[in-house]
This record gives sequence, structure tokens and C-alpha cells, in this order.
Amino acid sequence: MVSYVTRRVLLAIPVVLVASFLLFVFVRATFDPTARLREGRGGVAAVEHERERLGLDRPIVVQYGDWLGDFARGDWGESERTRADVFTTIRRAMWYTLQLIFWGVLLAAIIAVIVGVLSAIKQYSTLDHTFTALAFVGLALPPFFFGLMAIEFLGIRPKEWFDLSEPVFYSVGLHSADRTGFDLDYLRHLALPVLTLTVQIIAGWSRYQRAAMLDVMSADYIRTARAKGVPRRRVIWRHGLRNALIPLVTVMALDIGVLFGGVIVTETIFSVPGMGRLFFDALTAGDATMLTAWTVVTALFIVAFNLLADVVYGWLDPRIRLS
Amino acid sequence: MNGLRRGWLAAICALAVVAAACGTTDKSSSKKPTDDVSTSVPDSGTLVIGAEQEPACADWISSCAGAVWGVWTMQEHTMPRVFDVVEVDGTWRYVPSPLLADAPTVDTDEAGAQRVTYRINPAAVWSDGTPITSDDFAYTWEEIATGKDVWDPTGYDQIEGVDTSDPQTAVVTFKEGEPFGSWKQLFGADYGVFPSHILEGKNRTKQMSDGYDWSGGPWKIESWDRGVSVTLVPNDAYWGTQPQIDKVVFRFIENTASEFKAFESGEVDAIYPQSEPAAVKLIEDGVSGGQSLYTADTGNVEALWINNAKAPLDSVAVRQAIGYSIDRAAIVQSLFGALGVNEPIQTLNPPILSAYADTEAWADYVPDLARVDELLTGDGWAKGGDGIYAKDGKKLSLTIVTDTGNQRRELTEEILQAQLAEAGIELKIKNQKPDQLFGETLVEGNYELALFANVTTTLEPGLCAIMCSGNIPSEDNDFSGGNVTATNVPEADALMKTVETSTDDALRASSQQEADRLLAAAQVSLPLDPLPNIALWSDRIDAAISDNPILAMFWNMNTWRLEG
Repeated sequence: MVSYVTRRVLLAIPVVLVASFLLFVFVRATFDPTARLREGRGGVAAVEHERERLGLDRPIVVQYGDWLGDFARGDWGESERTRADVFTTIRRAMWYTLQLIFWGVLLAAIIAVIVGVLSAIKQYSTLDHTFTALAFVGLALPPFFFGLMAIEFLGIRPKEWFDLSEPVFYSVGLHSADRTGFDLDYLRHLALPVLTLTVQIIAGWSRYQRAAMLDVMSADYIRTARAKGVPRRRVIWRHGLRNALIPLVTVMALDIGVLFGGVIVTETIFSVPGMGRLFFDALTAGDATMLTAWTVVTALFIVAFNLLADVVYGWLDPRIRLS
Repeated sequence: MNGLRRGWLAAICALAVVAAACGTTDKSSSKKPTDDVSTSVPDSGTLVIGAEQEPACADWISSCAGAVWGVWTMQEHTMPRVFDVVEVDGTWRYVPSPLLADAPTVDTDEAGAQRVTYRINPAAVWSDGTPITSDDFAYTWEEIATGKDVWDPTGYDQIEGVDTSDPQTAVVTFKEGEPFGSWKQLFGADYGVFPSHILEGKNRTKQMSDGYDWSGGPWKIESWDRGVSVTLVPNDAYWGTQPQIDKVVFRFIENTASEFKAFESGEVDAIYPQSEPAAVKLIEDGVSGGQSLYTADTGNVEALWINNAKAPLDSVAVRQAIGYSIDRAAIVQSLFGALGVNEPIQTLNPPILSAYADTEAWADYVPDLARVDELLTGDGWAKGGDGIYAKDGKKLSLTIVTDTGNQRRELTEEILQAQLAEAGIELKIKNQKPDQLFGETLVEGNYELALFANVTTTLEPGLCAIMCSGNIPSEDNDFSGGNVTATNVPEADALMKTVETSTDDALRASSQQEADRLLAAAQVSLPLDPLPNIALWSDRIDAAISDNPILAMFWNMNTWRLEG
């Protein structure tokens, strides 16, 4: 197992370097870090001075090398839009997105596995058809629409119907003013954005799980286990599920990696200052420094979660790590 | 844990959540005793306001602080300024603020240079108790006039010096031969006055960008949680009217739909939204548990801005034809009729500056298809089989651009498209993100027609910045000019310059009015609607809330109270 993991880690390093170089080049080619100085009083001289300071007059490979060294040391530069430290800004945004993703993935994984397994073992039953219909509705619902409907029917309307002093579920941020920490207020803020985030994820993952489970349940070793008298529940959850999780784990790892870069719709609707909103603000402002760091960080997470998927894959299926 | 226990646990959790919603508010309410038991007891707790935009930074001099929400959430509450903007007998005026002992005096020195003398209120102090002195005026001027990356140094760069020999008196002398007619906007709502004893010798941007803990206004910034909220608390050292609320939290909600939902659910107590159709509808339907106000007496002018340098719009005839093709009243009626705002604006000056404008300058431009035909055929155009005019084999097809996602403007574009098509002019829509539109496209002149609002943040008149030919962005001025329409009416230039430099109000008014007529005759752009300002607030707020065209509904926030 150790050599398997080591191999995977070593393979990931060149992938990260190539991805970061390409992203660096693309962002530099698209956005000009000295753009704001054009409107300033310094004129052409100020722009030239800034280009020299940022090393923009040097070959792109040299620029990348300098940037990589700074990046590794934690010096990610200063945002052109806000003048704030990029590292601090991304770390803060990442924390918000992490919270949404953690709870969303946890909820989505649990529900998707349960729904997928039940759908598979009760194939073509009323329950299966119901879950299938709900899955397609979930896949069809745009997150933006669902989020606003959730606020309306789970936040505003209940307050009116039951004459409450506050909505049951909140829709702005992850805490009320002056509140922090993990408490009921936090959960009431978390409910709607997590629900919005997970609807499509649950719909997709449950379908994967159902298909994988059906595949596994028709395998010879499952029939053998049943024939040998192993209880049905143990066959499903201990033998069938473990193997059926393998493809789902791969999908989950890929999806989670991508989620780090953009739960922008959910963050926008619920005013959560996470990575998605940060990207949108930086993009519209042409904040090259922020965009460079943001895209590389997101790429790192995607690679990391792919790596994690490979490791978990190897743990779930010994045949893979031994091959 | 068996299924039955799991079910009970889930039910208990659900009940707990609902019970919490029925309970007292989380907003740290505290009740004060009152002798009059018949009146509701005021709640001096926490007020939560929805803010549509988070400022990029709080260094008000820097170019990163250009967003007006920075003024509304922090700057106007913490930075002392020399003039307040107040409505007097139906007209908005500058009146001396509590920072001054009395009205400034204007005269000339021995060399004939304009001189303004500010006498500072002896009670005026910073939050640390240090008096506000003439040194602060001098520091502010130097930072703006000589600093790098300044948002707009206009006026300050015409100051020769600030005499600080008397700490209680700041004497500002302008450069000889460079009088500044709009001197009242200096040291005002644009920047305010900065504390020299705190900032002198330090990097002002680093000290202020992420917020600052000092103040010369009724409030102080307690905290700024980036992306989430900024919290203000009363400045105990403020010498004017002390705030009566413990805390004000501006929560940043950039999505308009979410902002309205937050207000409807009671998560925020007040919002100041853009005049979008959703806001108009909310007012029309009635605000449950709250109140609203709207006013067209604002500093806003939404216009169809025409690139005068781009063919075929470099032809006066074509520009005038556009003016006679559009039914502006129908547009305004469609957008704001529910609010009783039905008439288009007839000048490029905003309503609050109507005293300086010819408010009927563009009144002749009403739908007249016969006139359109006369103008275009006279200019060599002929109507093709498809009903669109053409000349030298080229159709009269124009492109309009505005900021993507702005529902009101996108609706306006659709109406314009239909009206112009009827008149024989093809209009294509090609919208852009705001930063690209305002940061590149307009500045570089890569457009034909643009739809956006000019918003004034001062009571001083003056269209020269956006209409004088010398301010057309070019390589000569490093593309820093504000005349993005490339308006070039030399006769109007001199008049608009007079408005900028003269200190004679009557002369400024007559000059601007004459300039308006010349600009209208050349149809340099087409004013459309006076964007109303809209405010919505819950009954929890006990206050005489009114709109202020410069400082928004928050201008008197230190007099607001909360009901229990």
C-alpha cells in the first residue's frame, strides 16, 4: 500500500507543475496586472515601473519560476482589486467553501448511497420508481432556481404561515450578525445552501450507486454467498456495497475536486464569500494576481482529490494496489 | 439506536429549530425602561442592513475605493466632512457640517488667488480625543494632490497650499489663475478629512484598506469581515448627535433576488436596492411589516450615450434621427410608471442639479418618424426593402452595449430595439460585464451606443469632465479622460469651463443652461430616465427615514432607533 501511494504521489508532482505552468501562462496572456495604472496619474512611466517590479518584461518561463518560488513560500502577491494579501484572501474564501462542501458531501454521500442501494435491491418497485423520478427532477432543477425556491418555501412562507418572529432557515451567510461557532444558528444558516448544493449531487451519485449496485448484486460471488447462507443484509452492505462503492468513489473524488473551484451559484444566492464568488469578482475585475493563485489552488485540489480517489480505490480493491 | 429512537430524535431536533424561530431575536436586544407605558419600549440593539456591494477597500483616496457603497457603509459615518447635503425648501444644498464652527468664507488673497477659510468647531475631536485641526486638512490635501493611485484629484491639484498656523482655522489657497468653482465638494463626501496625527509618515493604504478603528464621525468601524459584513458601533467621542443603536451591521448581499428575499424574511431590516423591476414590484405589491420610499429627485441620469466619433454617429443628422425615433416617455412609463415616474429627463444634468440646467433642453426629441425620414434622406440614406435605411450599400445598423445581468437596462434595450426598428434603424444588443464595459470598452471608444447611468456624488454642477472635448480619452492623457462619448462641441466647451471655474452661481447656472441647449442641438447623447432611488425598511426601525441623493438613506443613521 505504501509503495502504491508513493507511486501515485510522485506521478502527481509533474501533473501539478504542468497544470500550474499552463494556468500561469493563460492568465498572464489574458489579464494585464498593470491595467489599473493606466487610469492613474502616473501614466506610461508608472506602468513601465510596475512591469519591471512584477518582472513582466522577462521571459514567461523566468516569470513562472519566480512566481513558483514565491508561491511555495506563501507569498502569493497582492490583489489588484482590493490590495489585500492573496494568500489570506484565498484561505478565508477556502474556509467558507470547505464548510459548504464538507457538509454537502457528507449529506450527499450518505443519502446517495442509501437511495442507490435501496433502489437497486428493490429494483422496479414503487420505491425505485419514486427515487428515479426524484433523481431526474433533481438533475433538471437549476441550482439557482432551486435555491430561491428553497428560500421562499422553507424560509419566508413558513414565517408568514405560522406567524414566526424569524424564519426557520436563514438565507444570508453562515452566521447571524455577532454569531460564530457551531450552534443552532449555524445549522439554520447551513441548511438551505447545503440543500441547494446537494440536490443535483445526490441525484447524480444515487444513479451511479444504483447502477454499480445492480452490477455487483448479479455477480457470482454474491450468489455464492447467499447460497452459503450468509444473511441477506450482510451480503448487501458488507460484500455488495464495498465493491459497488468503487466507481462511486471515483466520481465523488472528481466532483469534490471540482466543487472547490466553484459552488458559485450557491455562494451567490446565499451570500457566502467562498471560492466561487472570489473567482467571479477577480474575473470581472481582471485581477490577474488573484486569478493566477486561485486557478492553481483549484488545480491542486483537483489533483489532490484524484490522488485521494486512487488511494481509496486501492484500499477498496486490493487487486488494484497489487497490480 | 433503533429506528423508533431515531425517529423521535429527528422530531425533537425539528421542534427545536422551529422553537428557536419562534423565540426572541438573536440581535442582542436589550430593553430600556420608560416612564410612559403606552409607548413601545425602544430596542437599542443591532440593526442589520443589506448592502448590495462590498467596497474593495476602505482607503477612500485610493482608486480601489471608487464604489459608492463604500461611502454608504463606512466613509460617510466615520470621516468628518465640511459640508452636509441637506434639503432646504425643496432644494438640495451644502450646509456646514458639525465639523465647522460656521460657514466657510471665500475671498482672494493679495495675488488674486481664490482662498477658502474653514473655521473648525473647537469641539470636533477624533475618536481618541485628539482635536481635529488644520493639520488634518493640510495632510488630506497633500495625500490627494501629490499621492499615487488617487481616485480623482480634481480640485485638490489646483490648491497651492493650506495655512495651518492656527490649528482651529484651515486657510486653503488655490493656485493663481486657477479658481475652482466647485470648492464646496472638497474635504466633503468624496474623501472627508483624514487624521494627520494617526496617518502622517505611515503607509495610508496599508493603514486603511481593510478598515480602521479611528473615527471623526458618529460611528466607528468595529469589524470588517470580508465578504460577510461590516459592523459599526457608536463613536463615544463624537461631539454631535450620538447614535441610539448599539450596533449597525451591513451584510453584503450582492445578488438582487437574494437581497429581496432576505428583507422579506426579516434577516435584514433595511435595503437600498437599485431601481430594478423587482424593487418596483415589491413597492407596488406593498411591503408587509415595513415601509418604502422612492424619489426621482436624485443624482442619477440614465442615458443613451452615443459615441460621437464613430461613423455613422459622427453625423449630427443620424444622432438627431435617433432622438426622434425613440419614445422616451413610453420607456420611463414601462420601467417606473408604477411609482408615478412617467416623464423622461430632458437634460444630462441630474435632477438635484436642475437649478443649473435647462430642464427642457432635450424636450423637442419626441417620436416623429417624418422628421427621422427628413434627416436621414437629407444625409444620403434611403430606406431599403427591409425597412432599414442604407447608404452606400451599408445598412444603418448600430450596436448597443450595457452591463450584463441588469434587468432594467436589458428591458430598456429591448424597447429601444423595437422603436428604432420601426423608425428604420437596426439595433443589435451586445452586452458586457461591468468591469469590461466601464474599464475598457467605453474608455477605448470601442462601442457605438451605450446604456448606463451617470451618477453624481456632488451638488456642484459641471458636465465638463464628461462633455468637454479636452477630456476625450486619448494617448495624450493616457486614456484618463472622462468624455467617453467623444463629444466635441467647441462652443459648449467654453461655457462648461466657466461652470467649473467661476464662483458666481448665477453665471454658472446660465452658462450650463446655454451649454445644455448646444449639446441638445448636437444631440450628443440622449437622456432617458431619472433613476429613482428606492429604500425599504422594516417597522422595527423607528426613524424619520428619507433619501439623500449623495449619502443615501443612511445619512441620518445616528438618529435612528429600534422598536422592540
